[in-house]
Amino acid sequence: MTAAIATQGLGKRYRRLWALADCTLSVPAGHVVGLVGPNGAGKTTLLSLAAGMMAPTAGTIEVLGGRAVGGSAQLARVGYLAQDAPVYAGLSVGDHLRLGAHLNPGWDAGLARGRIGRLDLGLSQKAGTLSGGERAQLALTLAVAKRPELLLLDEPVASLDPLARREFLRDLMESVADQDLSVVLSSHLVGDLERVCDYLIVLVASRVRVAGPVDDLLATHHLLTGPRRDPGSLPAGVQVISASHTDVQSTLLVRTDGPVLDPAWTVSEVTLEDLVLAYMSQAAGRRRRDHHLEVQR
Amino acid sequence: MIWLTWRQFRTQALSAAAALAVFAILLAATGPHMASLYAASGLGGCRGGSCQNLAGSFEAQLQSTAIYPALYLISIVSILLAPAVIGLFWGAPLIARELETGTSALAWNQSVTRTRWLAVKLTAVGLTAMAVTEGLSLMQAWWAAPLGRAVTHGAPAGALYQGRFTQLIFASHGITPLGYAAFAFALGVAAGALIRRTIPAMAVTLAVFAALQVAMPLWIRPHFAPAHRAVVSVTPGNFAGGATGPGGSTLTLVATSLPGQFGAWILSSGPVNAAGKPVSTTPAACTAPTIENNLPDFDGCLTSQGIREAVTYQPASRYWPFQWIETAIYLALALALAGYCFRRLGRRLS
Repeated sequence: MTAAIATQGLGKRYRRLWALADCTLSVPAGHVVGLVGPNGAGKTTLLSLAAGMMAPTAGTIEVLGGRAVGGSAQLARVGYLAQDAPVYAGLSVGDHLRLGAHLNPGWDAGLARGRIGRLDLGLSQKAGTLSGGERAQLALTLAVAKRPELLLLDEPVASLDPLARREFLRDLMESVADQDLSVVLSSHLVGDLERVCDYLIVLVASRVRVAGPVDDLLATHHLLTGPRRDPGSLPAGVQVISASHTDVQSTLLVRTDGPVLDPAWTVSEVTLEDLVLAYMSQAAGRRRRDHHLEVQR
Repeated sequence: MIWLTWRQFRTQALSAAAALAVFAILLAATGPHMASLYAASGLGGCRGGSCQNLAGSFEAQLQSTAIYPALYLISIVSILLAPAVIGLFWGAPLIARELETGTSALAWNQSVTRTRWLAVKLTAVGLTAMAVTEGLSLMQAWWAAPLGRAVTHGAPAGALYQGRFTQLIFASHGITPLGYAAFAFALGVAAGALIRRTIPAMAVTLAVFAALQVAMPLWIRPHFAPAHRAVVSVTPGNFAGGATGPGGSTLTLVATSLPGQFGAWILSSGPVNAAGKPVSTTPAACTAPTIENNLPDFDGCLTSQGIREAVTYQPASRYWPFQWIETAIYLALALALAGYCFRRLGRRLS
């Protein structure tokens, strides 16, 4: 099966600063993929490159098996909702639908009108007067009604209030169910992703820290609590993602395919948030250590 | 794409149409009256020396009304300013506004390539810009035609009409407005693509356009073809200036027209002696106050002392070649700027 996004050594430099460097990843199609990572991890740059908004400085990126910066056919296959859901403030909601209809051969007018009707937006209302949630919904309508195979959403709910956020995500899920869409959704809020994503990629500083179906990730990660001891004493095949210690007790987040049999450990389930934070802090710790070594040299 | 271009450009297009309409109404309301004055002046069928007098009185008649000089100036200035306004308000925001508001991500994710997006916008808005500016120019030319004919008949070059090679006329008539409009528009778009912010792009557009509009008549246009040189005798009708300074010792003579070269563009002029060398002092024989204060006597004295006037000029017949050259230069610049926009949009922008 063709990957939704496949990159090899992908990099993008703005003047002298690399926003994304040497990024190699593969995002499977047919999933709702959550792309999560701290600010500055390169999520926005990656999605922008995937949408063909700009050409990479280094490496390659393929989207649905085609060149990301391609012709109109490639553009028609990929829907992109940029950060802050830009719309034309001076144009009405109806104008936006006409824009979509004129510029997209695959435009689904019924779908677009239906969505706008359900959202209770007036066609003559200027987009500049819409609330943040309504604007995001309008932008999503444009992105969905062109009937793309892949939908890229960059922090779609970051600026929305909790209610609007929930509605937007519910709406997105309905579209996904109706249309057989692949979705890649970036966020730094794990809570949002948990509700909608079935596949997760943790991206820190252009590197994939962990990737996989959410169910698998939850099944293979465990939280271990027990008397304080060296994590190195764990059996082979158990990988420690994060560890914290008090004087008497150790808490480990580990990844293992088999069960943890050592009775000294109390094994409990991890939440997606624990998991993501563990990978993110692991990366942060490694960076701090690198920095430390550099200073000593 | 054409629909979107029209939808986004609608307000500007309607404003331009309104401005054109106001311009047309003003000129149409006064033009026939000017034409009737011309018809009544008898200039149509004049012969020889009487023409000059008739033309002079016709011009004086127009000057005496407040409306014609004012309208003349306003109309010329409008034509000269139109390209700058277009570059600022149509050109600069075309890409910069999209980038600033982030709507570029919306526009460029539709199933239309960026190249096509830009091609349609540049073509539609650029052609409108050219049409509007040239429309203003043609209307003004129709309105001011009697004046031009009066000057051809020898009306003194005055405030109203100073010959078509002067900057105001050259830059507002013929085909040059087409070139200016295309260039200013493309300049605005390119500045917006480069700077990515509307207001700074507008400032740069204005500065560059104004600089080129000053540089062109001063330093570039005079060299479109090698200038002619003529040495002519000093007569009161053709030169301004005279003896100045302590005891009338400094001689300055500026050619205002050239005998036998009506409508020529005089680039430089100055008195020379019999040997052809430039002179800046008045011959002692001519410094007596009785001579100096009487222009024919003074000019006669200079001539008798072997003083003549050297003039470099572009003949009137070069008006159209120069119009073509200048328009071609501006159109070529406009195309180069448009090419830059395509390259920039294709590669680097997000």
